[in-house]
Amino acid sequence: MLGSFAVLRKQSLLGDAISHAALPGIAIAFLITGAKDTNTLLIGALISGLIGTFWIKSIVTKTHLKSDTALGLILSLFFGFGMLLLTFIQKQPNANQAGLDKYLFGQAATLVESDVWMMAIVTGLCLIVMLTFWKEFKILLFDADYTKTLGFNTKFIDILITTFIVLAIVLGLQTVGVVLMSAMLLAPAAAARQWTNSLSVMVFLAAIFGAFSGVFGTAISASQNNLSTGPVIVLVASVFVAFSFIFSPSRGLLFKQIRVIKNRRDLELHKTLAFMHHIAETHKDISHPHAIKLLNNFQGYTKSTLQKLVEKDYVQINGNMWSLTKTGFETAANLYTKQSTEDE
Amino acid sequence: MSSAQIEIQLIASIVAVACAIPGTFLVLRKMAMISDAISHSILPGIVVGFFITQDLNSPVLILLAAFTGIITVVLVEYIQKTGLVKEDTAIGLVFPALFSIGVILIAKNANDVHLDVDAVLLGELAFAPFDRLLIGGTDVGPKSLWVVGTILLVTISLLILFFKELKVSTFDKGLAASLGFSPAIIHYGLMSISSITTVGAFDAVGAILVVALMIAPAATAYLLTTDLKKMLALAIGFGIFSAIFGYWVAHWLDASIAGSISTVLGLVFLLVYLFAPSKGIIAVMYREKQQQTEVSLLTFLLHLKNHDELEERHVNHLNEHINWQKVRAQTVLDLALKNNMIHIEKNIVSLTKKGDEFTSKAIDYIMTNEDAQIEDMKDDFFLFRG
Repeated sequence: MLGSFAVLRKQSLLGDAISHAALPGIAIAFLITGAKDTNTLLIGALISGLIGTFWIKSIVTKTHLKSDTALGLILSLFFGFGMLLLTFIQKQPNANQAGLDKYLFGQAATLVESDVWMMAIVTGLCLIVMLTFWKEFKILLFDADYTKTLGFNTKFIDILITTFIVLAIVLGLQTVGVVLMSAMLLAPAAAARQWTNSLSVMVFLAAIFGAFSGVFGTAISASQNNLSTGPVIVLVASVFVAFSFIFSPSRGLLFKQIRVIKNRRDLELHKTLAFMHHIAETHKDISHPHAIKLLNNFQGYTKSTLQKLVEKDYVQINGNMWSLTKTGFETAANLYTKQSTEDE
Repeated sequence: MSSAQIEIQLIASIVAVACAIPGTFLVLRKMAMISDAISHSILPGIVVGFFITQDLNSPVLILLAAFTGIITVVLVEYIQKTGLVKEDTAIGLVFPALFSIGVILIAKNANDVHLDVDAVLLGELAFAPFDRLLIGGTDVGPKSLWVVGTILLVTISLLILFFKELKVSTFDKGLAASLGFSPAIIHYGLMSISSITTVGAFDAVGAILVVALMIAPAATAYLLTTDLKKMLALAIGFGIFSAIFGYWVAHWLDASIAGSISTVLGLVFLLVYLFAPSKGIIAVMYREKQQQTEVSLLTFLLHLKNHDELEERHVNHLNEHINWQKVRAQTVLDLALKNNMIHIEKNIVSLTKKGDEFTSKAIDYIMTNEDAQIEDMKDDFFLFRG
């Protein structure tokens, strides 16, 4: 859901960066409290994810380094630091430490009821905040400068969105793990984007896609041995994306190709008709028959185009001869003036 | 220092150098995230290669993995070309999918062999010296040393051979194309080198550290210089320093070497980010403040020039009229005095000859909209900067 905003804000890889950046937070929270309580670990992850995000932002605005460099930098450095802490923790005499690395790859099967409740609550919270600030989010998304002139506190809204994205990522970490979280954030939104141009529909669709890939992924992974849940969910989501890329009615590759072919056919039809018009013009009687052979050395001509012209009642065929009908002649004469409007 | 320790440091330094070179170009070409994508998506390549060769260090495996890396790049570019999503989204879609395939392949087929996700992602440098390469029964050093050494040699020779081409195509694609070398070939060449380096290094230091070693030294060097050769040298220097220093930190903390190397890289970057002479945060903030004061000074001088009346130039009036805070007004006044642009007599401020000249010139530049020249002019007139 929140992924829609990330995709539209061209911050897609932010999810990847945050999910890596959350690792040191988890480790530090564990070091401080010494207990493996999910909530404290999540708060740690949240804080370090936020620090990572804002550091990325300040690198991009304050120096000439580009956003991709900043992302890669923060991602790898935070993750490395997290690894350092994790290995450091492993050497500590604390029996509790086992299982911390579960956060790396995620294991949906290890979730307990309280975790699920926690997720449900946070999701609900996201929903409420999103509905209340819907207008602000939308306007900031598409025209940040305009928002500022309208007097909205853009910084506040920006931080709000970012915080919720981070929150969603951190929660998702437990389920699908660090590496695959970015796909969970992106894939449903990218798929939804192909089907609609409206933000609200897109968010709604993304939520549905996300939920479906979650359900299907879990079902597939449960039906077979040795199949971890996270990767399967991600693959299902990727299939959704591929499907959307190819089959979406207005932006999809398939329909684009069909449209290209259709346009080419139309053009050929028009060319043939124009050529016929050109010949017919030389006679006083427009319905004067001409030999089909005449058309043969014209490149736009095929049997099927001629057939189509007949179907449209522009041309009559009599044995080996063709002649333009009245409507055909008029259409051909108006072809060039009309073409621009017709093609729209 | 035992020989194993020396070998570890040697491997780490070689990897650092091998990563810093393509890394510099990736950062300059704004493709840093591609390295992250490659480092993840080589996983299925490694897994398939491992099924075929049953040997984690064989060249076939490295080639296959590098090939997957290139597939990633091609896929990303294809998706981006359809215009359906932006480039970063394309990257974010491709590599998790490939990575998932890799993870599933491992989980389904390779559960019992020595190959797991942690090893690929995180690596373990400490074990590198124990995996020796034997030629005719004699021990010639750790395997990974030879692997990364070869990669480094290839990278360096390619760099020297194609330095000019790389440079031109990085900074001016159009010029490169018109000079007759195809940017596409250079692009894919660079991508192949990055993939091979990533693959060669993953087993020694892990995929994440590869990304860190590629991006962090280059980004740090980029903050310090704008000269390509200097940037390369600096990036290599930072890489080696972090590799060796990181090793000792890890030794002292008894923690993961890869993790501590990237932590050191992070610290180096943080230091440079804060204190770099012209592009660091502190320098930027200082410059912003300096410019603010100087702009105020200019406004102040303009005000003086516009008003000949004594009462308009009285200190108290100026305080009221311009309505600056006291501290700021004092700073501006001090600066103007220090630079001999005004003199104060009985609380009446007036421009000196120099101040007058300065102000007229500044007006000229502002009117003709050549704001850039004001900086040069400031150098001519100022004895002390704001």
